[in-house]
Amino acid sequence: MDKTTLAHLCELSKLDYPEDQQDAVIAQMDDIIALMDTVKEYDVTYDDTRDHNEIPYEALREDEAQPSFDTARLQQNTQPRDDCYVVPKMME
Amino acid sequence: MDLQNTSLTGLRQLLDSRSISAPELADAYLDRIRTVDDTLLSYITVTPEEARAQAQKAQARIDAGNAAPLTGIPLAIKDNLCTDGVRTTCSSRMLEDFVPPYDATVVEKLKAQDFVMLGKASMDEFAMGGSNQTSAFAKTRNPYDTSCVPGGSSGGSAAAVSAGLCAAALGSDTGGSIRQPAAFCGVTGLKPTYGRVSRYGLVAFASSLDQIGPIAHSARDCGILLSAIAGQDPRDATSAAQPVPDFNEKVGKSLKGMKIALPKEFYGEAVDDEVKEAVLAAAKTYASMGAELVDCSISTLKYAVAAYYLIASAEAASNLSRFDGIKYGLRGEGKTFDQMIRDSRSRGFGDEVKRRILLGNYALSSGYYDAYYRKALALKQEFIQEYDRIFQTADIILTPTAPTVAYPIGQQDQDPVKMYTADICTVTVNIASLPAISTPCGYNKAGMPIGMSLIGRRFDEATLIQAADAFEQGFTVIPAKPEGGAAK
Repeated sequence: MDKTTLAHLCELSKLDYPEDQQDAVIAQMDDIIALMDTVKEYDVTYDDTRDHNEIPYEALREDEAQPSFDTARLQQNTQPRDDCYVVPKMME
Repeated sequence: MDLQNTSLTGLRQLLDSRSISAPELADAYLDRIRTVDDTLLSYITVTPEEARAQAQKAQARIDAGNAAPLTGIPLAIKDNLCTDGVRTTCSSRMLEDFVPPYDATVVEKLKAQDFVMLGKASMDEFAMGGSNQTSAFAKTRNPYDTSCVPGGSSGGSAAAVSAGLCAAALGSDTGGSIRQPAAFCGVTGLKPTYGRVSRYGLVAFASSLDQIGPIAHSARDCGILLSAIAGQDPRDATSAAQPVPDFNEKVGKSLKGMKIALPKEFYGEAVDDEVKEAVLAAAKTYASMGAELVDCSISTLKYAVAAYYLIASAEAASNLSRFDGIKYGLRGEGKTFDQMIRDSRSRGFGDEVKRRILLGNYALSSGYYDAYYRKALALKQEFIQEYDRIFQTADIILTPTAPTVAYPIGQQDQDPVKMYTADICTVTVNIASLPAISTPCGYNKAGMPIGMSLIGRRFDEATLIQAADAFEQGFTVIPAKPEGGAAK
């Protein structure tokens, strides 16, 4: 992994690493990816028709209108202003 | 009262016979938490006021003569399970001040029985780790030797049970996070079949692998707790429409004729000799009970850790994208929207969580998706097929729970690869959606507990509990001695 790849992953992940930590992160990621590379040794292709599906998961329930959470309680986990979530401007 | 050696049925009898009241029992545990937990750090949040109020309510129900199995029983809840009005941090700075406005389904079910919640147990941050040392708040220590890790990610739950700081606890298991800490702390942990227990209200790590389960002093206690939390839930589409049996219905029945498979790959060089010897001695014990030992092989095991980390990290990268600091969680600084989100996440997540998000996005990104993520999904199908083949001729599978006993704090912190490969004995169970139970089967020369795992067919937790209980009846547990504060 190089710094360009790390920067791309950081963009996808919405993370930042200070410049002085980047070499160490790249070294760790190289070790981890080397471990992940072991899957390439096994010759098999994913076949979604083989997915395990005899267990009836995802039986969707009927839609049913229910009261929502209390807005004031939800907003206790942030600092709302005038009942709004305030964020920096999105348009440059 | 010996809180380290009291079963749930024993506590039930004490409460129902009025030998002790629910408030007295809650106070006994709260006193012990005050005495011992400054050293162990098994709890992130202790909730004495809530516990006493719940104990009063439980006592009224007991007095009315309609107690449920867990009425008045003091439990710990892993801190990734939402608890209405009680801080739920996932051991992360990101959620340091997060107070859920609702209960997880499992907590709701326990409240329906009027249990007593002593507090929220520490864990690895967002359940990512096997040592409890990635916690941002309480880096839990092992009750058998406080210089060692308790395992993880449910290390706080396991340490609290082991040290008698709760009667039992709930944990969650994505790649071994119930079983491995149970093994390290000398207690019993059950990872149910995927879909057996609702995940509603569990802060998601890897949604196709996560499952909530009990950690307790025995397999029977795990069965009681599992009975309380199992069942389909309309709020979780992956909870299965399967009947919920009495999970202890087979307890005490003979093991004669039961076929127990021993996959040779689980007994290789990667596993410590003392661990192998203890598990193989347990196999002999089963043979002496009339069980038949069967040799078998899981040839794909060497790919298991990589396949697991690719799937789990990909799902984690997706699940944790919700943490942007806007509606809840740590709010960072920034002149633009993007800068604020990046600052929130960079400051809120710890090193291990960030590594897994990077790995997940790497595996999912253009050019790597087929080589890593889809290959891991293909291997998942292979693991399922291998286990299905074994279960055509065997009833359960016996393996070590972990390659080693609990190791010294700090030994693996800086080496993620070493940390990941230590999960070799547990991850395939999650990948294949199977149930498994870990129970103590010995101690090494230094007195640290060794755990063995029994793996079963999907939705056959009752057979696992039967077999684990049969072994436990003849096994003498050496309790941890966490008092005193100093490392052993």
